[in-house]
Amino acid sequence: MTAPKAVLAPRSPGFFAALAPGGRRALFLLAIIATCLLFAFPVCWLVLTSLRPGYAVYYVHRGGDFTLDNFQEVLRQEIVLKALWNSFAISTLATVLSLGVTVTSGYMLSRFRGPVPTVWFGAIYVFRCVPYVSWVLPLYFVTRAVGIFDTYWGLLLPHVAVHICFFSWIMKGFFDGIDPSMEYAAMIDGCSRWGAFLRVALPAAVPGLTALAILCWLYTWNEFLFALILTAQNTPILTVVMAQFVHELGMEWHLMSATAVLALGPALIVTIFGQKYVIRGLKI
Amino acid sequence: MNVRKTYGGFVAVAGLSLAIADREFVVLVGPSGCGKSTTLRMIAGLEDITGGTISIGSKVVNGLQPKDRDIAMVFQNYALYQHMSVYDNLAFGLRNRRVAEAQIDAAVRNAARILSIEPLLERRPRQLSGGQQQRVALGRCIVRNPKVFLFDEPLSNLDAQLRAQMRLEIKELRQRVPTTSVFVTHDQVEAMTLGDRIVVMKDGLVQQVGSPLELYRRPVNRFVASFIGSPAMNFIDMAVTAEPDRFRLSADGIDLELPQRRFAGLGAHAGRSVTMGVRPQHLRLAAADAAAHEHVTLSGKLMVTEQLGDEQVLAVRIGEGDIRVAGVDPELVLAAGTRIDVAVPLDNLQLFDTASGAAIR
Repeated sequence: MTAPKAVLAPRSPGFFAALAPGGRRALFLLAIIATCLLFAFPVCWLVLTSLRPGYAVYYVHRGGDFTLDNFQEVLRQEIVLKALWNSFAISTLATVLSLGVTVTSGYMLSRFRGPVPTVWFGAIYVFRCVPYVSWVLPLYFVTRAVGIFDTYWGLLLPHVAVHICFFSWIMKGFFDGIDPSMEYAAMIDGCSRWGAFLRVALPAAVPGLTALAILCWLYTWNEFLFALILTAQNTPILTVVMAQFVHELGMEWHLMSATAVLALGPALIVTIFGQKYVIRGLKI
Repeated sequence: MNVRKTYGGFVAVAGLSLAIADREFVVLVGPSGCGKSTTLRMIAGLEDITGGTISIGSKVVNGLQPKDRDIAMVFQNYALYQHMSVYDNLAFGLRNRRVAEAQIDAAVRNAARILSIEPLLERRPRQLSGGQQQRVALGRCIVRNPKVFLFDEPLSNLDAQLRAQMRLEIKELRQRVPTTSVFVTHDQVEAMTLGDRIVVMKDGLVQQVGSPLELYRRPVNRFVASFIGSPAMNFIDMAVTAEPDRFRLSADGIDLELPQRRFAGLGAHAGRSVTMGVRPQHLRLAAADAAAHEHVTLSGKLMVTEQLGDEQVLAVRIGEGDIRVAGVDPELVLAAGTRIDVAVPLDNLQLFDTASGAAIR
C-alpha cells in the first residue's frame, strides 16, 4: 500500500514575501511610527497648548511664545489643589477597598460551588449587562437620600461597586489559573481554609493583583461621569475641575490644558512603573 | 468503615470498608472516575463523607480538619508553593505547627539528604524539573513525620523513564521511612510494583482487595482480570454443555473439552454462556514444551506479530476474535496468515460468568 501523497499547491508569494527583507522591516517600522504618532499626537498637542499664553492657543502651530504662567495660575487656584488631592485619595482608597472585596469575591467564584456563588455570579452578570451610564442618576438620588452626596463616601462606594462587578471576573480568572491542590496541600500542612487562601493562594495571585490594582487606580483617576454627577463644591475632583474651564465666558484652553498635563503626571508615573506588572499579570 | 460519598444522586464511593495495617502500603487502583481519588480525599479530609466512619490510629477523624489528621499528601501536579523556596516549602508544615526553627532546619536537611535535593534548597519550584519537584513534594511529607502518607497519582505527570525511576525511589523511601501509605493510581504496573495490598475499584465499588499475586492469579471477576496484567488477559465467550466426565466449551470455530474434576464450578453453568480468560504470558505455541502441562489447544490464523526484542507478541485470530500470545521466541520467523496452534494450560485458565463477570471456581 502506498501512502497518499500530500499535494501542496504552489503558493503565490504574498505581498510581504515579495518584498526584500529590508523592505519588510522598513514597512513594519513605518507602521509602528504611524501608530505611535496616532496616540502621541493629541498628548503632544495638549502639552504644547498648556505651554502657550492664552491668546495663542488657537495658533499652536505658529509663533514662538512659550510660558509656564498657565501652570502657575492653575496651581494658585485652591480648587485645583484640592481636586488633585481628592482625586488621588479617592483613586487610592477605591483601589484598596475594591481589591479587598474583589480578591475574596473572585476567589469564591473560582473555588466554591453552591447557591451563594451562583447568585453572586448572576448579580455581577446582570450589573455588567446594564449600561454604566444608566446607573448614574439612580446613584445620585440614592446618595442624596442617604446623605452622602458630595462626600468621599458618596463617590467611593459607587466606584467600589462598579469595580467589584468588573474585576471579580478578572480575579476569578487569575485564581482559575492557580492550581487548587496547592491550597489543599497547605490545608494538610496545617493551615485552615482561610489560612490556605491568605498564605498560599493570595501570594500566588500577587502578579495579577498588582495588574488589577494599577488598572483600578488609573480607571478611577480618569473617571469623569460619576465624579461629575455625584460631587459638587465640597469634593472637587480633578476631571470635573478640568472641565469647568469651559464656562459661559468662553473656554480657557490654556488653563484646561495645564490642569490636564498636571493630571497626566501621576497617571504617567503609575503607568511607567506599573506596565511591567500589568503585562505580566494579564498574561497569567 | 463503610464509607460512602454521594454528590446529589450520583454515588461516587459506595460502602467502602477497608482496614489498613500499620506501616502497610495500600494501592487504590481503577479507571478514571472509579472513586479512588475521592476515597483518598475523604481520608485526607478534603471531601466530607456522606456516611460511615474514618479512623486513623484509634481516633475517628470524621469531623476533623485536614490539618488535624496528622497526614501528609503528595499531589499529581506536586502542588508546591510557587512563591516559596524549596527550603520554605519543606519547612511550611512544621512552621505552621510552631516547631522550633533549629528542629525544623534539622528535619529539612535530613529530608533533603534522603531525597538528594540538598543543592536545590534555595531554588524556587519553577526552576526544578518534574522529577525534582516530585522529590520536593515527597520531602514535604517526610519532614512532617505523619501517621499516614497519601499519594494521589504522584507519578502520572512524569515521562515513562522517570516514572519507572521514581517508582524505585518510592520503594526505597519506604524502606527508610516506613509509614502507613495509601497510594492512588490508574496504572496497574504502579499498583503491582508498589502495593503490599491492592484495592481494585470500579464505579465507586471495591472489586477486589488482595496482594498483587492474588489479584494476578485469582481475580474475582472479569474486570479485575482485565485490569491487572499487561498485555491484558484474553477473553473468549463460549457456551457450556455438560457431558459425562467433561464440559464442552464451544464458540464459533472453537471446540474445547475440559475435565469435570478440575472445573467442578462449571456444573452450575451448563447450558449458559461463560467467558474463558487466559493471560497472553501463559499461552504457548503448541509445538513447544506445552505437552508437559495439561492443556487444551486452540488453533487459529496468525494476524500480526509485534517484535519487542526479548519476546514477540502475536495476535492470533481464533473464531471471531483475536487473542494475544506473549513470550514467543523473538528469533522465530512467522508469516502472517500461518495456521498456529496455541496451547492453553489448564492451570492458568480462568472462567467467568459472562452475564455477571464473576469468576467461576
